[in-house]
Amino acid sequence: MVFILGVNFPERNLVKKALQSFFGIGNDTSARLLARFHIHPTCKVGELANKQVLDLTAALSDMKIENDLRRQILEDIKRLKETGTIRGRRHALGLPVRGQRTRTQIKTAIKLNRIERRL
Amino acid sequence: MGWQSANSMVHALQSIRSPRHLRALLSRRSTNSAHTNTGASLSTHIQTWNDARGYATQVQPAAPEINFEKFQALPARIIPTSPAYFSGSPKFIDHSLRLEGILAKYASLPTVPAREAPRMAWFRLPQFREFVGEPIPTKKYKGLLRILQRLNRIDPAITPREVRDTLNDFLRPGNPYDIKLAPRTLDELGRARGKGKRKASHAVVHLVEGEGEVLINGKSLTEAFPRVHDRESATWALRCSSRLDKYNVWARVKGGGTTGQAEAITLALARALLVHEPALKPILRRAGVITVDPRRVERKKPGRKKARKMPTWVKR
Amino acid sequence: MVSPLCWGCLTLLRQAPRTILPSPTAVSQAAAFHTSAAIYARVPAPRGRDSAVGYRRSTSANIKKKRKVSERARPPPVGERKALRKRIVLSNPNALEVEGMPELSEETMVDSRLRGTVVGLPVPMLDQLRAVQAFKPKQGWSIFRRPGTVLRRETLEMGRLFENISGEGEDRGVVIKRIISGQRKSGKSVHLLQAMAMGFIKKWVVFTVPEAGELVSATNSYAPLSDENPHLYVQNEATAALLSRTAAANKAVLSKLRVSQHHPTLSAAKPGMTLEDLAKIGVQDPASAWTVFQALWLELTSTSAVPGLEKNFTPRPPILVTVDGLAHWMTHSKYRSAQFEPIHAHDLVFVRHFLSLLKPGQDKPTLPNGGALLYATSTTTNPPSVYSFDVALKQVAARHAGVDPSSPEFPQPEAYSKTDPRVFEALSSPKPTAAKEGMLEHQVLGGVTRDEARGFLEYFARSGLLRETINDELVGEKWTLAGGGVIGELERLGRRVRVAA
Repeated sequence: MVFILGVNFPERNLVKKALQSFFGIGNDTSARLLARFHIHPTCKVGELANKQVLDLTAALSDMKIENDLRRQILEDIKRLKETGTIRGRRHALGLPVRGQRTRTQIKTAIKLNRIERRL
Repeated sequence: MGWQSANSMVHALQSIRSPRHLRALLSRRSTNSAHTNTGASLSTHIQTWNDARGYATQVQPAAPEINFEKFQALPARIIPTSPAYFSGSPKFIDHSLRLEGILAKYASLPTVPAREAPRMAWFRLPQFREFVGEPIPTKKYKGLLRILQRLNRIDPAITPREVRDTLNDFLRPGNPYDIKLAPRTLDELGRARGKGKRKASHAVVHLVEGEGEVLINGKSLTEAFPRVHDRESATWALRCSSRLDKYNVWARVKGGGTTGQAEAITLALARALLVHEPALKPILRRAGVITVDPRRVERKKPGRKKARKMPTWVKR
Repeated sequence: MVSPLCWGCLTLLRQAPRTILPSPTAVSQAAAFHTSAAIYARVPAPRGRDSAVGYRRSTSANIKKKRKVSERARPPPVGERKALRKRIVLSNPNALEVEGMPELSEETMVDSRLRGTVVGLPVPMLDQLRAVQAFKPKQGWSIFRRPGTVLRRETLEMGRLFENISGEGEDRGVVIKRIISGQRKSGKSVHLLQAMAMGFIKKWVVFTVPEAGELVSATNSYAPLSDENPHLYVQNEATAALLSRTAAANKAVLSKLRVSQHHPTLSAAKPGMTLEDLAKIGVQDPASAWTVFQALWLELTSTSAVPGLEKNFTPRPPILVTVDGLAHWMTHSKYRSAQFEPIHAHDLVFVRHFLSLLKPGQDKPTLPNGGALLYATSTTTNPPSVYSFDVALKQVAARHAGVDPSSPEFPQPEAYSKTDPRVFEALSSPKPTAAKEGMLEHQVLGGVTRDEARGFLEYFARSGLLRETINDELVGEKWTLAGGGVIGELERLGRRVRVAA
């Protein structure tokens, strides 16, 4: 078991997938992180050297991920609402924000768009 | 049968001819009501008329005496050239009569079996209708064809010129059996060329004498056909005649998939091989490589899922 | 009283559920005569989803298929599938033993009378060949009693070259450099295997890269070489694997050679230790593998000892280097630099080292003790198709044929085509200045001749696989079907069981 940013990962997991388990890190970001520290994409968590683990943790702690990112997104939505923009209003109504048609296919917007968005 | 039906036609013609005499008879009946006999032949009419004259001597004649020699030479009205003029289809009947006459004339000549007779492309029914310009029923035309075929079966060596000329009148223009394809030959470099099609593929094969090399679209046989079965079927014509190491094959093939391409090459190769060695034809025929497979994929139609399949039927 | 039963239709005689039927008296009051309609009048079905076609709904049946519940077996343990895939079986006890089968040896590898016969690989050598991963899983070794290869024209020619390089004649110590290509299954990898077997017979040192693709597919660890060279990358694990292969296969040769050069970068290399031990340092400590490899290479290419270490020096044997799957090295690798840009394969020091051997040496040959570089463009591992590499190979052939690179006959890439200058640069090896160094050649392996095919098929028949009499007709047929004697296809045809029609 290896700790990366306080999270315990089993050794047989791929490093790339382990990084992607953080909120705010997807395919591209994790691939770039790996390249930054010269870790090959098929590397397992158990194969990481200690220094690489520390490097990864340091890099992750500098990034805005997990709760910081969630909070920022919610604040952004709230700011839109408070300044009275149309985007804020659409969020509050649970309707698509970016000018999509609303006759059909707005299930996702109904599900997700609200002021206190679930993340 | 045709013979008999033509005979009945003659009967019919005679019965057609009769009304003219009947008309003359009717005018005479006004003068002589006692006369009741309506004979069929002209001679009987004349006889009865003469008998009536015997009675008429007692009264003043209404018209000068008719000179019958002159009557025969100068008819009262214009007689058509064809005896079948007043029938529905005079030209057709003329043709029938002519053929029947010829057949009767040469019926005793020896004949050959039907398959040895020369192939003739007779008029098709619509073409014949257009040719004579009359609406001929199918059945009657069939009868005519039967006579034609019977005449065609006369031994070709001794067929009279008259028969041959007559039969040629009934051939449709551009006799397809008359076209003799120029026999295919090797070109100046010793290559034979053959074309073949199968499914959506189309192949051209050049075959030269050699030692068994095969090039397909510039690639070797293994690169062109990864599947062994395709390779075997492409070279099957050479294989079954055990000439695989005596010829070099150079093929161009396009369209379709691998199976179609391989089998298009099979056909093209067999045709090219026949140019080199025509005597191989029975062997290749038995091997099934010169039989064309004309099947193609049926097109998809609107309203259907595939060519024939309908969408699932739903109530309401 | 009028009976509630309608005598005409007698519908009430049917057994109806009691709950549906109203009481007889109620019916008689409500409807005096015909009662069946009142009783069986159906409640109109509510207009639901089924009854009407909704807005923009398809009219075809949309029946959900039931998901099949299948019991999933437990997946095999980790690594088992790969082991099964990479497993190499060299013997089939059910196949017949071929009587009088010659064995590959110093005499048979140059005996042109044996051309077209299948020679067995010596049994003691199999471990060495396995160690350098000379056998590939799908080469059909598992259908015969013992592994053997056919002696074709190219093999005998190569055997003669090997003998000359090892011999005492004027060709001693010559370096041959070849890039071997050919269509699929034309026997490129087996050609390399034959070269390795001959190298082992002649007691050469054999370095092999059995899967060139593994070095660029980003499945091994990598790191920048040093701070001075941030654009060069070292692959320590792959290098350690190479050292381990080399040490295991060339144990007999390397254990007799001793370190006779100074290695300032490698403190663990003591003067006088055997080269086998030197290689094992790198195997045990992958972090130093590249340094160890450089030290080992320096030792093997040295012609004399440094002053003071003469007593450790024995003449070094020739070296054979084989690489399988060269096309993988001619494009970008799957590795990424720190700036997330793809790393060119030539920036990996491992690859760079082996490609630099193709260039002529500065003042002495690249392999001063002689040897051979055989790089094959294998097709087993799905190599990339690199246009620049194809053109560069043509250029190699033209240059070897003596075409001047400035002449119009010299093959050039098409205008406006995307080319990789590094590929041309890597393969543009001018005529070497050193006398003993051969020029880079391009050898194309084609099909075998009919006689060789006959010998090969006879071997199948004698092993009990091909149950037909081998005559000229059969050989000609198989030869044509194999695309002009492509040996891998011949093998496929030979092992195919024909069902009697």
